[in-house]
Amino acid sequence: MNARAQRWLAPRRAQALARFVLWSLMAVAIGILILILAFVLGRGLRHVTWTFLTAMPLDSGRAGGVLPIVVGTLEVTALGVAAATPLGVGTAIYLVEYTREGRLTRIIRFGAECLAGVPSIIFGLFGFVLFVLTLGLGWSILAAGLTLAFMTLPTLIRTSEEALRAVPARYLDVSLSLGATKWQSIRKVLLPAAFPGILTGLILGIGRAIGETAAVIFTAGSSLPHRIPRSLSEGTRTLSVHFYQLAREGISADNAYATAAVLVLAISLINLGAYVTLNRFMRRYR
Amino acid sequence: MSAPKVSIRQLGICYAGAPAVRDVDLDIPKNAITAVIGPAGSGKTSILRTINLLSVDVDRAEVKGQIRVDDRDILAGGVDRVDLRRRVGMVFATPQPLPGSVYDNLVYGPRLAGTRRRADLDALVESSLRAAELWDEVKDRLRRSAFLLSGGQQQRLCIARTLALGPEVVLLDEPCSGLDPISTFKIEEMMRSLRDRFTWVLVTNNTKQAARVSQRTAFVLLGQMIEQGPTGQLFTAPKDPRTGDYVEGRFG
Repeated sequence: MNARAQRWLAPRRAQALARFVLWSLMAVAIGILILILAFVLGRGLRHVTWTFLTAMPLDSGRAGGVLPIVVGTLEVTALGVAAATPLGVGTAIYLVEYTREGRLTRIIRFGAECLAGVPSIIFGLFGFVLFVLTLGLGWSILAAGLTLAFMTLPTLIRTSEEALRAVPARYLDVSLSLGATKWQSIRKVLLPAAFPGILTGLILGIGRAIGETAAVIFTAGSSLPHRIPRSLSEGTRTLSVHFYQLAREGISADNAYATAAVLVLAISLINLGAYVTLNRFMRRYR
Repeated sequence: MSAPKVSIRQLGICYAGAPAVRDVDLDIPKNAITAVIGPAGSGKTSILRTINLLSVDVDRAEVKGQIRVDDRDILAGGVDRVDLRRRVGMVFATPQPLPGSVYDNLVYGPRLAGTRRRADLDALVESSLRAAELWDEVKDRLRRSAFLLSGGQQQRLCIARTLALGPEVVLLDEPCSGLDPISTFKIEEMMRSLRDRFTWVLVTNNTKQAARVSQRTAFVLLGQMIEQGPTGQLFTAPKDPRTGDYVEGRFG
């Protein structure tokens, strides 16, 4: 009794305090997010007009719109994700289902984690040397997409691996016992069960790719496109690069913020789409 | 006893070098229920999972000896896993529906086996659900998720799913361990009514269950076969004193 009385904080009050502190931390975190969004959208949205979305840029971006830039950004991102998905998911399946935990898997995992921490500008440099120069792709959507694929790969491997490991081990037992081969079990049971987790990894990958600046300047170039790209071998400027140029060169603050707003909206739309897909899938699957 | 459906000789099972089962001999007669009893960790499940080679493929068990199913030694190598597992079906200790509807669960195996026609699949679903005495309870919710069924219904669904493969042997790994007495009773009733149609191997922790439903019982202790024989005899006049101690609940 005595020891309890001497505690400077009774458990009940500590509980209340913890609740308050945690709530405050959450409020600060959410507050920062809202502040950033409000700042970007508040300055940018009013300049996002229909013309801005559908016109070609004029006068270095001082006037006109961002249509080819939006298209280029989406193409680079889509290409990156499309190339990274089979590589990442395939590697994860191999790590989880086809190899025993050992030296090799630890090396692969360690490598992937190191790769995840490498700054994007290093990927840009690598992509520039490999794709732009050595393979002769030039500054192009293709070179940028492949570079972004390398960049998103580590995250994708990691999240896919976690998702596959989270699938109950019994599913494999059951599927095999019903006369399925291992590959049939993976395709029909394990991958669908891991799909939500894999999709989360993809969303993170898209998020990292679509807003990427440094790696894209090195591989897609930064010259302003004056038409919608007609092939993957054309260079482009992505939204974040466009924003950087407009702001850095003092070309147009209004259009810079408008570009930022478009980028933020695009990311929100893609995430929304992904979650709708996920919900549909879960309803059908459960 | 006429020629057994499954005949196990000198079976040894090791996991990463550690022996779990040694020199087990067991004869499993056709179209009857054979119970395997013994305390937890005695190797019952290892033996069962080796009869369809899951222990080898999933648990990386090293096995030696012989398991003849219809005179074909499945440990000899080169056995077609898919074919074996369609003939030797398995039901697990806790209900293990796959994600998806009741219907999806039941047609999973048959579809992989090549049954594509809708009418055939529908007929198979109905007949296997009727065999597992689940049809009346779920016929109106075949399209609903299998996870929405009660635990006992899920386990009968899993049995129906195994029966839908058209197996010759059905391996049951403590099928009632997580179920209430009424669900247990229903599953035992079902086994009795289907006794003559399949060769059943029932691993159970519940000696009373073995006494209630099986014709033959084998007692396994610490990875070794202690005694096997007609259930009545094993329970009333065991040859080995350890068997008597176990079935009367003096240890284990």
